[in-house]
Amino acid sequence: MGLSGYLVVSTLLFGIGAFGFLARRNSILMLICIELMLNAVNLSLVAFNAYAGPGEVTGAIFALMIMAVAAAEATVGLGLVIAIIRTRQTAEVDEYSELKE
Amino acid sequence: MSTELLIALIPALPIAGFLFAVLLGPRLDRVPTHHDGHDTHDSDDAHGTDEAHAAHAAHDDVDDSAFRGIPTEEEQAATSPHAGHHDDLANAAGADGVIPAELNDGIGQTGHVTPGGPQPVYRSWFVPVLLVAASWVASMIVFANVVFGGETYHVTLYEWIGSGDFHVEIAFLVDGLTAMLLLVVSSVGLLVHVYSIGYMNGDRGFWRFFAYLNLFMFSMLLLILGDNFLMLYVGWEAVGLCSYLLIGFWYKKPSAAGAAKKAFVVNRIGDFGFGLGIMAIWTALGTLQFEEVFETIGTLDPTLITVIALLLFAGAVGKSAQFPLHVWLPDAMEGPTPVSALIHAATMVNAGVYMVARANPIFAESPVAMWVVASIGVFTAIFAAAIALTQNDIKKVLAYSTVSQLAYMFFALGIGAWVAAIFHLVAHGFFKGLLFMASGSVIHGAGGEQDMRFMGGLRDRMRWTYWTMVIGSLALAGIPIFAGFFSKDEILAEAFNRGYYLFYVIGVVVAFMTAFYTFRMIFMTFWGEWRGPAEAWHHVHESARTMVAPLVILAVPTVLVGLFLGIPPEGGLIHTWLEEVFHHAEELHAGVLPGSILDEALAHGEHHGFELFGIGGLLLLVGATAGALGIWLAYRWYVLNPDAPRRFVERIPLGLGPGMYAASVNKYYVDDVYQLVFARGGVYLSNLLWWFDAKVIDGAVNGAGWLASRSGGILRHTQTGRVQNYGLGIATGMVLVLVAYLVIR
Amino acid sequence: MLATGVVGGGLAVVTLRNIIHSAIAMMVCFGSLAGMYLLLGAGIVAAAQVLIYLGAISVLILFAIMLTQAGDANLPAPFHRQVWFAAVVALATIGLIGWVVISTDWGAGAEAVAVVLDELATALFTDFALPFEILSLLLLAAIIGAIYLARRPEEDERAN
Repeated sequence: MGLSGYLVVSTLLFGIGAFGFLARRNSILMLICIELMLNAVNLSLVAFNAYAGPGEVTGAIFALMIMAVAAAEATVGLGLVIAIIRTRQTAEVDEYSELKE
Repeated sequence: MSTELLIALIPALPIAGFLFAVLLGPRLDRVPTHHDGHDTHDSDDAHGTDEAHAAHAAHDDVDDSAFRGIPTEEEQAATSPHAGHHDDLANAAGADGVIPAELNDGIGQTGHVTPGGPQPVYRSWFVPVLLVAASWVASMIVFANVVFGGETYHVTLYEWIGSGDFHVEIAFLVDGLTAMLLLVVSSVGLLVHVYSIGYMNGDRGFWRFFAYLNLFMFSMLLLILGDNFLMLYVGWEAVGLCSYLLIGFWYKKPSAAGAAKKAFVVNRIGDFGFGLGIMAIWTALGTLQFEEVFETIGTLDPTLITVIALLLFAGAVGKSAQFPLHVWLPDAMEGPTPVSALIHAATMVNAGVYMVARANPIFAESPVAMWVVASIGVFTAIFAAAIALTQNDIKKVLAYSTVSQLAYMFFALGIGAWVAAIFHLVAHGFFKGLLFMASGSVIHGAGGEQDMRFMGGLRDRMRWTYWTMVIGSLALAGIPIFAGFFSKDEILAEAFNRGYYLFYVIGVVVAFMTAFYTFRMIFMTFWGEWRGPAEAWHHVHESARTMVAPLVILAVPTVLVGLFLGIPPEGGLIHTWLEEVFHHAEELHAGVLPGSILDEALAHGEHHGFELFGIGGLLLLVGATAGALGIWLAYRWYVLNPDAPRRFVERIPLGLGPGMYAASVNKYYVDDVYQLVFARGGVYLSNLLWWFDAKVIDGAVNGAGWLASRSGGILRHTQTGRVQNYGLGIATGMVLVLVAYLVIR
Repeated sequence: MLATGVVGGGLAVVTLRNIIHSAIAMMVCFGSLAGMYLLLGAGIVAAAQVLIYLGAISVLILFAIMLTQAGDANLPAPFHRQVWFAAVVALATIGLIGWVVISTDWGAGAEAVAVVLDELATALFTDFALPFEILSLLLLAAIIGAIYLARRPEEDERAN
């Protein structure tokens, strides 16, 4: 497909993930969108590695690191979200407005 | 004792007297209160409140009905001859003499509180009068040294201000001019002090009066002794303050308090110009010391000199009550008569004349300024005389007469007749002081009456007062031999010789008017039948010796000063004494109009002398005749034919008579104009500014607060507490930064 | 085709009402991504993708949904009021980054070059050894944190 194609896909995915993060009201769905964004970045990294850096492995390794970190972050994040949902009995982020002025 | 020490003592003694009177005066007097019969040391009128009165009434267990101190308002109205007479607007406000009950606690209007119960004692006069007498002795010694010894003294006490380039010393300069003023101020001042012992007897503020009088003497002496403009200004302001204190001496009387305020405020207007003039002098010349200023004044730009001179003259207009700042002096008659005699006849109002005379080098350099001085002088002279013609209050007649005579002095200064002006100042100080004190004696003897329409026939009962007042009046009218004749005619002669023919004619007319209204006063007061309330006639008596003695003493110089100083005319002794003071101005021939007699003489290098059978003698004759005519007319109209004035007014063509009379009685409505323009205008302006301050300025401040509060309220909505809102903000910012980076490169 | 899967899956994630459906869509997206990695010649990455994302994270999310019973509720209003603004911002982001991406010359080759596994492995334990070890620490911390966060409060039982 060519580098540009992969990059376009990556950009699209990133944008979609950003939109979803900002626009949906469910807290778990927000975490899902975060994962989407991280994946988009992964894709672009690997694409660069394949096309623009022949013989290099940095991109792939970076992508692997990101995946690990994403996993850790998803774990902790879900733990938090579960705790919050248990406390407030709702998954609506609109309700999490204790810091409101 | 060196002369320098004496000079320093002259003002020092009165200020010591002031301190004494203030600190010990209340203890020395024993003045009865009007609520309980007990003596209290509280000899002054501190309690004005109802609570204090009630508290005193609670102790009231002594029958004090014998003590008739305070007439009620009804009683006052019933016994006042003014009751019902409000047609004379010149005397209207407060003139019915009724003091509101809640303010009245026995402060008499003429100094008499009917005694009953414990005898009051008034001892606090002794030290102040003694100190003023000592000051007088010192003044006379210094006077003799200066005038007969021909010395000029410079006494420096210490450096008062030493700030960078600005240096002012406390120093005294005593030359011929100062000596003449010392003569008048000290002598008349001492006589007024003695007079006040009798006049103010019975007044609850007795010690306060002497305190203020001494303070006034100190201020006036400082004014005339100072050797630089700043000391002059300090003394100037201080006499203004003392004038306020003394005019408003009976401060519970609303008209007196108002008159004091008026005097001070109008004075202040002139003082503002004066202050500017002094500042201009310092800015231009770097010094305020008289001799240094006069040496270098010629180096300045002529326009600047004119401006300075006019600014200085503004101060004189205020202090010496010339048009348009004359309005305070007639109202100042609210003060006790000794105050009128001292301040408004013999001393304070002379400060303006002294200042212009002292600054003669400045004025001599500026023909414009001199012309202004002369014009205002002439105009005020005839203006004030025209008002004095119709006044019915004896003190008001003398007040306007003072304004008119001062105007003569300024007239003389403006045409360059410096010595004549000072001569008239000295003569006027004596005879006007005499006249005022005599009028005080008349008022005293007539039981507090000041309106001449309710007097009459007093000459048999008050002989000493009558004859001394006649002597004073003859002097004022300019009858030969008496003091006023020589001084006034010298002024008129100088006017003629220097080419001011129109001013001369006006001056002669004013002399006629002066003689007329003066003797109108005499005839109305002393001749004819008593026109006051019948009971009052029984009380008419000659005044106490302490009051009559000064009158007699003053009558002597009134007769002799003219002969002593003014002969030969236009070249008398006084010219010799004052020669050095005015020599610079004389050199410049200031005030001499081209084509005049004097001008011709100077052009030919001759000295113009007095010729008895020439022009000089003719002018003397004209002046004397004008005076005599005035007296004759007054005699015809007020002794022989009392109905004549009224018929004369009616016969004036075009029916202007009554209107002219009303205008004269109402002081030509000057006060009304001021009230409308400045008083009401000032109130309007201040309301406008209040509106501006409250609405615009406060509005801006309050508006700023409101804005902050409102914007805070709006911005608060961004703090939703929700992560996604914040996230959106971040994303938006990121996009904007990207756009900025990508687009603007 | 894989691109469609990726993008379509992503769109489905953000637009579906039911959260479980969104989770499934996410899995579809991840799967397509794995395929893409294979096409790019990064087999290890593809494998990791499947293992971690499809195998662990997706399951984790499904567990979370089910534990909290958030999936039963059919949200009446899945979108915020700010959805339109967010869309604009997202589109702007896409547009800008896309424009940058397309218009830049990356010096790219014509063909995707596969990653050599030997080299990757070697690099992982030599050049990138430190990040590797730190990563392990990170995972440890994450595990401890997650356990702590998700525990039920035990104080009540102890008090009883």
